[in-house]
Amino acid sequence: MMNGYRAYLPILPVAATYALLLGIGVVSPDHWQLIAQLAFYCALGQAFNLFMGMTGYVDFGYVAFLGIGTYGMAVSIYTLSDKGLGIGVVLIGLVLAAIFSLGLSLAVGAVALRLRGAYFAIATIGVNEGFRYLLEGARIWNGADGIIFSRHLRQGVGRQTAMALSTWWADILVFGVAFLAAVLTLVYMRNKVGYALLALREDEDAAKVMGINVTRYKIIAFITSAILAGLLGASAWALKLTYVYPSDVFAIHYTVEAIIIVLLGGAGTLLGPIFGALTYGAAKYFLAIVLPGFQLLIFAPVIIAIIVLFPDGTVGLLKKRLRDTPLGKFII
Amino acid sequence: MIFEQLSGNLLQGVILGGVYGMATMGLSLIFGVLKVVNVGHGAFIMVGAYVALTLFQTFGVAPPLAVPAAMVIGMALGMVFYYSAIRKLLKGPELASLLATFSCGVILEEVCKQLFTSEARGYNWELGKLDLGFTVLPHAKLLAFGGSALIGILLYLWFHKTRAGMAMRCVVESDEGARVCGIDVDWEYALSFSIGIGLTVVSGVLLTMFIPVGINPYMGGSYTLKAFVIAVLGGLASPYGAFFGGLVFGLIENGSYTLFAQIPGLEPFAMTRFFSFAMLLVILLLRPTGLLKAK
Repeated sequence: MMNGYRAYLPILPVAATYALLLGIGVVSPDHWQLIAQLAFYCALGQAFNLFMGMTGYVDFGYVAFLGIGTYGMAVSIYTLSDKGLGIGVVLIGLVLAAIFSLGLSLAVGAVALRLRGAYFAIATIGVNEGFRYLLEGARIWNGADGIIFSRHLRQGVGRQTAMALSTWWADILVFGVAFLAAVLTLVYMRNKVGYALLALREDEDAAKVMGINVTRYKIIAFITSAILAGLLGASAWALKLTYVYPSDVFAIHYTVEAIIIVLLGGAGTLLGPIFGALTYGAAKYFLAIVLPGFQLLIFAPVIIAIIVLFPDGTVGLLKKRLRDTPLGKFII
Repeated sequence: MIFEQLSGNLLQGVILGGVYGMATMGLSLIFGVLKVVNVGHGAFIMVGAYVALTLFQTFGVAPPLAVPAAMVIGMALGMVFYYSAIRKLLKGPELASLLATFSCGVILEEVCKQLFTSEARGYNWELGKLDLGFTVLPHAKLLAFGGSALIGILLYLWFHKTRAGMAMRCVVESDEGARVCGIDVDWEYALSFSIGIGLTVVSGVLLTMFIPVGINPYMGGSYTLKAFVIAVLGGLASPYGAFFGGLVFGLIENGSYTLFAQIPGLEPFAMTRFFSFAMLLVILLLRPTGLLKAK
């Protein structure tokens, strides 16, 4: 068993990758949009992996947490910008995003986490659609008309700051969420949560018989993953775009992308989602030039191929190969 | 006035519900035999809708004649997906088959988007109407309902009166036992997967009678959700339960639509879709094995 700081060495390649990405973006502002997109995919993959990778459960409605986080930020800026709070509205927005996604994850988790395997998937697959239609049907937060709050943001913090927030700080926050997700993943892996979830993934009944409170650890992973998604939505979507429409932020398309990213890299590994995000993000970027609109058509068969041929994903395979080499302690 | 409207909508609900039920039988059959949830279910319904649309608009073939074509296409798709992916994943973790069926759905959606663009389309098969005073039932919808019931009965007869159906029921009971009795379990898996997909694609043909302009590559998602509600209503592993679950769901959907429309400030269409999702969670919370199924 690894102990002390050595257990946390794998955070170094994560930090190095993010620093490198950020560095490229700063040096070459022309590529900033691509870098920001890659950072979004890294954060999405890391946050999604925290639950799916560690528990082996797929939450097909995951995008709902990003969506409700987007609303957290939007509601804060829309309603509080004339209260003279300045930049405080953004901080309140992040807190609201976390609270909203926490609330939704508790509501969904209360039902879904009692269920196993297929039933869990059935319970979660409609969460994004269901919540979207609740907002539209009951006209909550302007319903289908969405919230457009660019004017409110300018009013609240001034034109210059508003500009800086959506063109620079929103992306920096995405990097922050990505890094936070990686740190939490590693901390969980190295502590009781990770061991309990590993036991659950291998054999849920056996884990229960051994006296592990599997529901508790499932809930911890589920909520953490949901809050990270909420923060990601608040920064990558709300703060960056300064508008939100229910039809955009609850699109299942993003759940598909999260699944692709995690599987490409390797579910349940720390570096996998980063590898998956960079591969998928770069491929999508170039496919958009060469074959626009084809990226899902190309990646959906890739998912099947990965599941059938090498379910461990790229980093999973690498991890096995390098286990006893000096590099091994950096790669999990 | 409201009573008349409600009874009219409920009748429409039963008619649509019968087709919903048929659209869920494939899902239940596949879960019953293979213990695999077809998360891409709705995409196969979408394929059926395009089969009906293309045959009608390009070749002038009436929708009832599109049914056998849809069955053949669906069974072929089922065989392809079974032998290329599902078969290898049956022994693995549930995650694998869920992700695989989900990806199958995404592939179909993206292929149809390339073939037909993502523009919403539809066609109108004019056969006349039956006017009941409080509501009007187009003959095409009645025909779709009759077709669904007929297919349900045929499936029942096939299951209970033929040797092949009996073999499949054996596999549902116990695949070990079936193997001991000399049944080719792998073939039964392949057959039920492809029949399940075939039935689903056929249901897509029948559903086009109800959606005059709504055929698009991404229409499947909402049907996946509805099919899950219906399947858990009727007990996930029971095709006939699914049929009755569909009738109940059709009633609830149209009934709640009428009631939501009475409440000012609500969008009844969106509320109905939210309601069916909320219903799914409640049923899963209370009776995950199905409400209609006896204990």
